[in-house]
Amino acid sequence: MTSMESGGDGGKWLDAHYDPVAGLYTFSSCVDLADLSGDGENRLVVGDLGTGSSGMKLKVYRGTALMSENTLLDLPAGLVAFFMDLHEPRIPTTAVASGPCIYLYKNLRPYFKFTLPSLEVNTLEQDVWQQAREGQIDPLTLKEMLESIRKKADVPLSVRSLRFLSLETDGLDEFVQLHKQQPIRRQTVITCIDTLKKSTADEDGVSCLVVGTESSDVFILDSKAFIILSKMSLPAPPTMMDVTGQFDVEFRITVACRNGNIYILRRESDKPKYCVELPSHPVGLVRVGKNVLVGCTDESLQGFTQKGKKLWKIVLPAPITTMAPMDLPTRGFQGVLVGLANCEVHLYRDKNLLSTIKTPDVVTSICFGRYGREDGTLIMTTKGGGLMVKILKRTVVFDDRDSAPGPPLAQSIRLNVPKKTKLYVDQTLRERESGVAMHRAFQMDLSRVRLAAAKAYVKALESSLTPMSASLSEPLKMNAVVQGLGPSFKLTLHVQNTAACRPVMNLAISFLYDENLYRIRDPYMRIPLLVPGLIYPVGTFVDCTNDKGITDIIKVFVLHEGRSSPLLTAHINMPVSEGLALS
Amino acid sequence: MGLLDKLSGWLGLRKKEVNVLCLGLDNSGKSTIINQLKPANTQAQEIVPTIGFSIEKFKSSSLSFTVFDMSGQSRYRSLWEHYYKESHAIIFVIDSSDKLRMVVTKEELDTFLNHEDIRGKRIPVLFFANKMDLQDAMSSVKVSQMLCLENIKDKPWHICASNAVRGEGLQEGLDWLQGTLSAQHTAHITTTKNNFLNMFVFLFFLYL
Ligand SMILES: Nc1nc2c(ncn2[C@@H]2O[C@H](COP(=O)(O)OP(=O)(O)OP(=O)(O)O)[C@@H](O)[C@H]2O)c(=O)[nH]1
Ligand SMILES: [Mg+2]
Repeated sequence: MTSMESGGDGGKWLDAHYDPVAGLYTFSSCVDLADLSGDGENRLVVGDLGTGSSGMKLKVYRGTALMSENTLLDLPAGLVAFFMDLHEPRIPTTAVASGPCIYLYKNLRPYFKFTLPSLEVNTLEQDVWQQAREGQIDPLTLKEMLESIRKKADVPLSVRSLRFLSLETDGLDEFVQLHKQQPIRRQTVITCIDTLKKSTADEDGVSCLVVGTESSDVFILDSKAFIILSKMSLPAPPTMMDVTGQFDVEFRITVACRNGNIYILRRESDKPKYCVELPSHPVGLVRVGKNVLVGCTDESLQGFTQKGKKLWKIVLPAPITTMAPMDLPTRGFQGVLVGLANCEVHLYRDKNLLSTIKTPDVVTSICFGRYGREDGTLIMTTKGGGLMVKILKRTVVFDDRDSAPGPPLAQSIRLNVPKKTKLYVDQTLRERESGVAMHRAFQMDLSRVRLAAAKAYVKALESSLTPMSASLSEPLKMNAVVQGLGPSFKLTLHVQNTAACRPVMNLAISFLYDENLYRIRDPYMRIPLLVPGLIYPVGTFVDCTNDKGITDIIKVFVLHEGRSSPLLTAHINMPVSEGLALS
Repeated sequence: MGLLDKLSGWLGLRKKEVNVLCLGLDNSGKSTIINQLKPANTQAQEIVPTIGFSIEKFKSSSLSFTVFDMSGQSRYRSLWEHYYKESHAIIFVIDSSDKLRMVVTKEELDTFLNHEDIRGKRIPVLFFANKMDLQDAMSSVKVSQMLCLENIKDKPWHICASNAVRGEGLQEGLDWLQGTLSAQHTAHITTTKNNFLNMFVFLFFLYL
């Protein structure tokens, strides 16, 4: 067993097994898990594509070991394990679709081969081969005639004719000799395969096979008698399929087709019921609950309802290589695993990214389910033929917020806004009814406030209570600064003559204060001549004489000698004397 | 417990009771092992997967065991920790042929060893590398390597290969467990006896 770092998946997965040289070359459609021996231990069944032209095999793994191999005659297009009958012991059958046939294996041995019915053959094609057989035309003429038929015929040529057309001139004769006696047949090729429960939803209920073909058809086959139960036609050849429901009750087949559309087939009709036109080609199709998730070539994952209504779309960091559902019924979990070309496998529940698994190689197939005795097993094969098995930790809880980019979850939480109270409603009613009266009352009050303010202002001006002198002969400005912690404060008054050119003289400063609280060193000061524009600092000291932490206002008056009313007044809010508390 | 009971216990007249917790993944062979350890006439013929847990009792030459045979199925594994406190010994069974789930075994073992009721407790752990008869079974050395048993420093532990169906290897394990438990027990008794003696001496002096 090779152990490797799980990287960015937050330790959610245990690395059970990794064999980088397992030599397994496959896709998700050719991998399944089933209890092939009926002993309660699930095996891994893989349709191995080999090199693509040789070495195709049906492989069965038990635990970490390859248990059996069967050579496949043709490239597998899909593989499913299903119950075809009710015989005891309940051992599932493996169906491998390749070419026009379905090969069935039971107990790991070939058991039955079913071939889809042949298609109609072009009559003109038949005629020219007839002529060739009778020696009426030579191979070169045959080739020319077939070529012209191919160009205009509604019914396509058989594989035999197409191969003949692709031959070089020197091989033609031999080919005609070899094949001319056999009748011409035209056969379709299976592109995808899935199962559909016959009449019960039970895990081990008997299933039908559903196959999609290159001839743009979907067949439902009875697995007991191998007769075609139903045939449905699509506008284009299907490439991927998801089947749900039961044949006898109600079913739904979601098919991604080569024209880039998704069609939804229902039991009642042999034509698609809904259609989804995708902006780019689908590369993965997975159903999660009632929604269909589609991965597209534009590196996006999109969610649709089962009626084809688009729900959401997210952009992925790399192209999708494969997709598979992650269904864990014991924990009620459903999500989708998406293999990406940047060597990552992402797990999404709806559009939320829950886990990122880093892989040493690009993953080409994913299968999640019960393997051996472990329910939450993730099996992946890589581009280089590696086999990787991871087991979901028992204690893992998936949190939607885990690593999901985008708006925070809190954004979608409804705020608990309180209901409108009766008072509020009454008030609104009142406002609606007597709006005019309220407005008038408001305007009246506003005017009163304005009047009161104007009166106070006039009074202040008249008694020069402001730190700005409005008198035309002595326009003055003053501000005061108190410095120190106390009990001694320095009080500095900055006096400025704001007149344009006239100096001011004969000014004095006096203070009005509570003598029980403060003592001012120079309670009366004369101010020198004030040159316009300059700021004159006038300083004195204030001692706080109480120790109760009481503060008071000191009023400063700037007076003109010989006049009793001040030119301007300033109120100084004295700070608390902290020095007194200290000493 | 009465004084007489205690006395007979100390003097080894009565078998000491020990609670043993049997852990391991489902299908590892826990129930089969415990069934084999029971007296022949009380053994069950057929072993079915355990649901929840079951309690079994059997005696060895000097100890009387009460075994909690836990179910190893993942949905029941959360029950294990509720029995850690009362246990005096652990039997941990491993299916040595289940290579794939050895990581799961290791994960559960590590969770167990790091549990607050187990960490720092000198509780003996007996490992059975079971199903050694199967062709693809790993050796007990390989099993202990994969589970990193050499990292267990604060507990006495022991691993034996076993075949529970035929009862092979079980006695060896049980002997080790009994020896370890008795040693711990004796150490405990000696200190108590000393206390007892001191008390006598003290009373004696008081009397004088
Ligand atoms: N070959 C072989 N089979 C064994 C051995 N021990 C147990 N088994 C078989 O393994 C299967 C499971 O044994 P159980 O004793 O039920 O396992 P368990 O650990 O109690 O399982 P749970 O109760 O589900 O946790 C049974 O079919 C046993 O016969 C062994 O040493 N060798
Ligand atoms: Mg059991």
